[in-house]
Amino acid sequence: MQASHPHRIQLQPGYVLHRRPYRETSLLVDVFSREYGKVGLLAKGVRGGKTARVDSLPPFRPLLLSWTGKGELPLLTGVESAAPSPPLQGVALYCGFYLNELLQAFLHRHDPQPLLFERYAGLLADLPVTGDKDRLLRAFELTLLQELGYGLQLHCDAEHHRDIQPGQSYHYVPDRGPIAARADAGSIRGITLIALREGRLDDAATRREAKWLLRRVIHHHLAGRPLKSRELFRQKSHESS
Amino acid sequence: MQANGSVGRLMQALRCLPGVGPKSAQRMAYYLLLRNRDGARVLAESLLAAVDRVGYCERCRSLSETALCAVCASPSRDQSQLCVVEMPTDVYAIDQAGCYRGVFFVLNGRLSPLDGIGPVELGLDRLEQRLAGGEIKEVVLATNTTVEGEATAHYLGEMAQRHHIRTTRIAYGVPMGGELEFVDGATLSLAFNGRREF
Repeated sequence: MQASHPHRIQLQPGYVLHRRPYRETSLLVDVFSREYGKVGLLAKGVRGGKTARVDSLPPFRPLLLSWTGKGELPLLTGVESAAPSPPLQGVALYCGFYLNELLQAFLHRHDPQPLLFERYAGLLADLPVTGDKDRLLRAFELTLLQELGYGLQLHCDAEHHRDIQPGQSYHYVPDRGPIAARADAGSIRGITLIALREGRLDDAATRREAKWLLRRVIHHHLAGRPLKSRELFRQKSHESS
Repeated sequence: MQANGSVGRLMQALRCLPGVGPKSAQRMAYYLLLRNRDGARVLAESLLAAVDRVGYCERCRSLSETALCAVCASPSRDQSQLCVVEMPTDVYAIDQAGCYRGVFFVLNGRLSPLDGIGPVELGLDRLEQRLAGGEIKEVVLATNTTVEGEATAHYLGEMAQRHHIRTTRIAYGVPMGGELEFVDGATLSLAFNGRREF
């Protein structure tokens, strides 16, 4: 797949997902670009020193990135700000970290995800202003799973392929789907599955169940790898991812 | 030329310093051995002594040779004002500026979930204990103005407020001696939002 990659990419819209220091003044940057998906880039001379005091590669800011070279580690040749950083503060900022951690864990390199990119950009812009972060995060998690081939089955039960009944309880089995079951601590109500499908999580119980369901499914696909940003929310139990 | 034996080992060892590549390491090694053997001895002894003796201050976690560092032990410091910074070098910078008379708490890092650093890894329980102690009247959040620094500040702010402690964040703005033209947009907008009566 990499052979088909052009050598020189100009002003590609993208976001920084993660950066790690490399050598003295360089960074290894994972970016989520619109047309090329997740790409690892080497950014030389952007760290430390007198000339690089201001961060030119902040996460969450819409950027236009140029890079050159194929292979494992192309070289970042230019970065421009496409728009100001969204004013993410407090819980919205925690949510941003959570999104980046999710993308970092789920995206494969050089696998374009245009729809996910669009949703991510929209979500970053919405997070600072919305009062309903839960609904937006759940919608994003659903899209993420869907786009990467782990979509949730929210229309019919996995055993008898009957429509989800609002009054019925289900056990959700990752990779299979909901299976009708008696209500217990591990079950989820049909009405929650329907609400999730329709993107309206109106009451607290539905939110809690939806969050719990998605957390379990994500956890399953991450094969035990923990998501660290969730720990930030622990102080704020009433408003978490 | 490939140096072997002790010289080679010295050159390799010098490369653990930041910014020192093979060429500089070679220059340093040859300088020490040819021109300044006394200096080399002093350097070696000081390094050993420092590595053996310097640990972390048990109160602020800054580098210290004693159980309590000079700042924490000083009676002239305001023990009710606590400034939280990311690195020991920040303590030094703030102290040099001479504008702050309180004490410090050094995180030795920042919350950075994508690097696997959460509240537990940062040892924030130690800070929590200190806040719970009741001696602190104000927490000054002086973490960096990066996204990680901001997240850390917010987290610490919530923590301090749970203990009903006044919490302040250092101001954002235009650097002294700076020209507006060269200041980035984000800083400028923060400077405008935070403008004061003149």
